[in-house]
Amino acid sequence: MFKNYFKTAFRNLWKNKTYGFLNIFGLATGIACAALIFLWVEDELTFNDSFPKKDYLYSVKNNQTYDGTTYTFDATPGVLAPTMKSEIPGIKNTARCTWGNKLLFSLGDKSIYEQGNYVDSNLFSMLQLHFIKGNASDAFAQLHSVVISKKMADKFFGSTDVIGKTLKVNNEHEYVVTGVIKDLPENVSFKFDWLAPFKIYEDQNTWLQKWGNNGIVTYVEVQPSTNLEAVNARLHGYIQSKDAEANSRLFIFPMRKWRLYNNFVNGIEDGGRIKYVNLFSIIAWIILIIACINFMNLATARSEKRAREVGVRKVMGAGKGMLMSQFIGEALIMSFLSALLAIAIVAFALPGFNGLVDKELSLNLQNPLHLAGLFAIAFICGIIAGSYPAFYLSSFNPVVVLKGLKIKTNASAGFIRKGLVVVQFSISIILIIGTIIIYKQINHIKDRQLGYDKEGLVYMNLQGKMKEHFNSIKNDLISTGAVQNVGLSNDYVLQLGSNTGDFAWQGKDPNKQILITVEGVSPEYISTLGMKLKAGRDFYADIAADSNNIIINESLAKLIGKKDLVGSLITRDGGNQKYTIVGIIDDFVYNDMYSSSAPLILFPDTANVNFLNIRFKAKTDLAGALAKVENVIKTHEPGYPFEYKFVDEQFHKLFKTETLIGKLSWVFSALAIIISCLGLFGLAAYTAERRTKEIGIRKVLGATTGALAGLLSKDFLQLVGISCLVAFPVAWWAMHNWLQTYPYRIEISWWTFGLSGLLAIFIALLTISFQAVKAAVANPVKSLRSE
Amino acid sequence: MIRIKNLEKIYRTEDVETVALNKLTFEVKEGEFVAVMGPSGCGKSTLLNILGLLDDPDDGSFLFNGIEVAKFNERKRAELRKRNIGFVFQSFNLIDELTVFENVELPLIYLGIKAPERKQRVEAVLDKMQIMHRRNHYPQQLSGGQQQRVAVARAVVNNPKLILADEPTGNLDSSNGNEVMALLTDLNEQGTTIVMVTHSEHDARYSHRIIRMLDGQTVTENIMV
Repeated sequence: MFKNYFKTAFRNLWKNKTYGFLNIFGLATGIACAALIFLWVEDELTFNDSFPKKDYLYSVKNNQTYDGTTYTFDATPGVLAPTMKSEIPGIKNTARCTWGNKLLFSLGDKSIYEQGNYVDSNLFSMLQLHFIKGNASDAFAQLHSVVISKKMADKFFGSTDVIGKTLKVNNEHEYVVTGVIKDLPENVSFKFDWLAPFKIYEDQNTWLQKWGNNGIVTYVEVQPSTNLEAVNARLHGYIQSKDAEANSRLFIFPMRKWRLYNNFVNGIEDGGRIKYVNLFSIIAWIILIIACINFMNLATARSEKRAREVGVRKVMGAGKGMLMSQFIGEALIMSFLSALLAIAIVAFALPGFNGLVDKELSLNLQNPLHLAGLFAIAFICGIIAGSYPAFYLSSFNPVVVLKGLKIKTNASAGFIRKGLVVVQFSISIILIIGTIIIYKQINHIKDRQLGYDKEGLVYMNLQGKMKEHFNSIKNDLISTGAVQNVGLSNDYVLQLGSNTGDFAWQGKDPNKQILITVEGVSPEYISTLGMKLKAGRDFYADIAADSNNIIINESLAKLIGKKDLVGSLITRDGGNQKYTIVGIIDDFVYNDMYSSSAPLILFPDTANVNFLNIRFKAKTDLAGALAKVENVIKTHEPGYPFEYKFVDEQFHKLFKTETLIGKLSWVFSALAIIISCLGLFGLAAYTAERRTKEIGIRKVLGATTGALAGLLSKDFLQLVGISCLVAFPVAWWAMHNWLQTYPYRIEISWWTFGLSGLLAIFIALLTISFQAVKAAVANPVKSLRSE
Repeated sequence: MIRIKNLEKIYRTEDVETVALNKLTFEVKEGEFVAVMGPSGCGKSTLLNILGLLDDPDDGSFLFNGIEVAKFNERKRAELRKRNIGFVFQSFNLIDELTVFENVELPLIYLGIKAPERKQRVEAVLDKMQIMHRRNHYPQQLSGGQQQRVAVARAVVNNPKLILADEPTGNLDSSNGNEVMALLTDLNEQGTTIVMVTHSEHDARYSHRIIRMLDGQTVTENIMV
């Protein structure tokens, strides 16, 4: 019996190639799109899965409350890891790790910056890093040792047989290579090419020894039997047991959640990237449903062609169940053919998609999970797509269909078909509106006035003796004619790293801690960045003359709340240190580009500066200017490669997730509308065919081609119109909610809806009009005779 | 074999009520060849659909081989139909996507007969109908007469007790029509009961008895000599 079904299905497909193509191509596009999304989702869900101890690994998080609001940080005290291992039961292992350091490694005349971390050697066993050469137990036996990735070993030595060889770091120390580890996969939270003993970093940063100073990350491995609640209960007051003044409340946070649940609001876990994983999974299914709807609509629309077959089979003894299984079987054949085509589409589209999402996803059909997933998608699509047509076709009355009578258009079938078109177009319109609003929001943020001029501004890490030779470098740079000004700072302006709650001023509630960002800068900083002074003055060029003076931002000034703040005092460390406010600058945006500026103090202090900021003159040829800057820097520090970053480029990179969402929603809306239009094209063709006689008669009676094309298009356009009415409120609600997550956001304007609706109508009209005009220009004599 | 009594079938739309069968009563004995005649709209086709268990009456009794089937549900009707009744239609109603062999094979598939036996039975009937040489052709590749012979082959392949023919020669020229009538006569002589609806007096003469209908009722019955 199944052989007979297969034959009928294939011969039907062969005979109706356009129909077959529309169905298979539409469904294949949907399956391919869903497959790409699911590959992305799989990559996100399996983040850090390559670490065998993933279920027992945690990072220590740090909740600090300022002025009633709790902020969650990853920074912990340097003394925490060894102490908590010995004092808190259930902790099997701990390791400290720096934020990530970019160091210059040199071998002969080869000098390359490489990203890595200073870590405790326990991390090797905690992450179960695979040593290709050397071993974990004695990798850090000597102080200046380094474990490098295979990639880095190949880059410097062209081999992994490098134990005992040395690499010069930052043109200062020779580090001995004591291990080569297998490169980590892309989807892990750790991105390093080298690991060096934490002791080196600790010796250089003695402030780490204080319990009140948070500056590194602490990782924890627990015993399988550990009571996590007990560990967290102990950690809650742990810092206070060492330093009663400290504001930190610690807790451990599982590796399983690092990637997708890393958002905290007021100290409480509040989702994270998981919302995009969920959103895209839903979109994948929606696109599959749109593709399945095509199948249903085309199958029921062309039911007349199958009616006689249904009649004959019924007369021959086929029951309704048998016919339903036949038609569902046909849908399954179609969906499996589509799945095969989808594999080809995915293989073709994957490199582009990888570029879009910045991942290295692979189709990898040897992975049983991928095969099973594809099979499941194809099967589910077949069942969904086949169920309604099967139900509809198998319910034909053989008496009617065998008489050769036209099946009266079943009112409910027509209603369902129209309803399904409305569903398809509503989804497409929602996606179009969503895409427009996402792009508008991204552009809104990108166009935001930051409070300084981000164009023509470059920053670079200070290397070698650049800090000591700053004045001479500055003069040389300015005398190139391309540079307007140069300044130093602890951090680069988009990401200011230090903050503290121990400042006070007259009138401040002593029980309230207010978190204030602190930034050490050279006197040229404000003018180099192009920030505006609101009151008072800039720092003196002679930094010593301002040794106890500070400049605050407007936001802090508002917080202090007094007028004429210039000349007032701010104290620190219980009043031991006093600073005079000499200037107030306009707020500028840093760290969180969506929020307003947080309170900030600029210190004229270059003790811990790491960055050189260079402002180019307006309308300077940047390529020429950079060459001149390189020349100056190379003259002063010939041992370092010239590396720099433009602030505006780094600024745009901050919106990686939003830009990705924008691009993906663009792709998904385009696909949704294309798939919907494939269906509409098929439906329009069948409608034109059904109404051939009517068109012929109307034409004979004098209807023009335009009037006929309009007549045929009208019904479909009505459906798209209804779709707009359905889509607009849903889209408004969804996008309104999405925008609420951004403090700095656009208002949704009515034209977004108008434009999306018009776009959908235009695309639909384009699709239908081909069939409508074709039917309208046909010779009426022919169409009437054919009746 | 067939005994119907006071059979009623009424078609209703919102405005109109059409009586298709009006307390119709008659009988067909096993081995009979009965022709049903009458003007368009007299209820012939409705009668044939009910006899073929494709449709159910609104009222009255229908005994098929002594079993009351008037109130059978669709599943039971389908079961009885596929084992006992063969159909021949005016417009042949062959499935375009299936070959001659596959079309004839169809009733046997639904009866659950295994492939080797199906092949043997289909080939036997195609041979008998003299269309064996066309077994791998599709319906569109055959003449009308050949198509109707395939339809007859399909109707008899499961050895039904009853064949219902709805104007079997309506779409054929006289020569092909005569051939089909000869086939039906032959089947009847071998014991198959036949009820045939026709407009053709010529075809009706092949039967044993002609029932003439008007407005859903029998008006006369002629026994053929």
